[in-house]
Amino acid sequence: MKQIKVNLSKDQIKKLMLSAMGFVVLVYVYFSFFLGPLNNSRDTMLGQINELQGKVANSKNELTKTAKLEKQAETATNRFAALKALSPEGAPIAWFPPRMKTFFANQEIDKATARLENSNPYKETDLANWMRYNWVIELPQADFASLGKAVAALENAEPLLSITRVNIKTLSEDPQFQQVTMVASTAMVKR
Amino acid sequence: MALHLNLLHEEILEQRQRQRDPLKIGMMVLGGLGALMLLYYLWNAYKVLEIRNRLGQAQHDWSKVEPKVTAAQKRSTELNGIISTTKVLDGMIDTRFFWAPFLEKLSRCVALNAQLTSIDGTVLDDGKISIVIEGLAAGREPRAAAEELRQLLLEQLGQSYQEVKVEFKTLEDLDTIVKIGGSNQAMARFGINATFTTQASKPSPTPGPRTKVRGEPRS
Repeated sequence: MKQIKVNLSKDQIKKLMLSAMGFVVLVYVYFSFFLGPLNNSRDTMLGQINELQGKVANSKNELTKTAKLEKQAETATNRFAALKALSPEGAPIAWFPPRMKTFFANQEIDKATARLENSNPYKETDLANWMRYNWVIELPQADFASLGKAVAALENAEPLLSITRVNIKTLSEDPQFQQVTMVASTAMVKR
Repeated sequence: MALHLNLLHEEILEQRQRQRDPLKIGMMVLGGLGALMLLYYLWNAYKVLEIRNRLGQAQHDWSKVEPKVTAAQKRSTELNGIISTTKVLDGMIDTRFFWAPFLEKLSRCVALNAQLTSIDGTVLDDGKISIVIEGLAAGREPRAAAEELRQLLLEQLGQSYQEVKVEFKTLEDLDTIVKIGGSNQAMARFGINATFTTQASKPSPTPGPRTKVRGEPRS
């Protein structure tokens, strides 16, 4: 094997070193200040494009899902609107007692009164916009048959009303009639 | 052999040394490399510009879709809320206790020789229904009349409700004599406790046609 001997002067070695340094600097500057940032920017943009494309693709699913949900929830929406409509505008204390008075008067039970016992929010998170109102409904003079019919009609007409206590006592002076006290709780939309 | 004299050897050597100057060669190599790198950089920059255009297009597409998606998500949340709220409300509606059918059943149990003076019914927290009934019974055997009422009540409630318990709280004879159908009859005062739970399939809140099983109720 032949050995090639290159005889370089000191000056030449210095220049070679200088060239090598120049090469290193060139490579460093090129990758650090030109190609590196450019590649970073490219990678970032590609990432953003992927993210946006994913979002757009998901959005189509989301829109389809919502449209499906809208169809499925049609019954629930109508029912919810109907239940909500049972709570008219205004404070319940303003409209509930007159409503009960009229209701029982239509059922041939006069002198009905309703007073608010208390109200409190529901514990269920789904009912955050609803309040429970407890009412005491007093019917000082009611015939048992009329009372039964009236209670049935009330339970049918007011699905959100639940009678939790019933107290019926005969009137000693008029045994034909009874004195009735009912405690009822109603769910009403917070206004 | 002819003598060849090179009088310009020094100049030629200098020229050769200049041509072999490592710095010059290095600079040329660096320049070439730099040119190649620049070309590569420009090629990459062109590609990045293309990608930027694609990004712009994607952003434009997203900006068109985003309001619809946001509205859809909002609507979806709202609908889910409505569905779950309706479900809870329906649950409350379905699990409430209907008093009208109970009152109807009770009225069927009261015979002519019995009178209820007080009914106190409560829906307990655990869903059980507790009823306290007080009344009077008359007859040759007033206690038997009261027992008949209790048994009838047990039978009637058992048809529609579960875990029915109907027990006497009190049952005592009274000194009072009452005239029923022209004959004097003894009286007894009774107190009945009834507890039961509602079935999964609940009775209709509308009472059916009244049938006079044992006469008209007095209370």
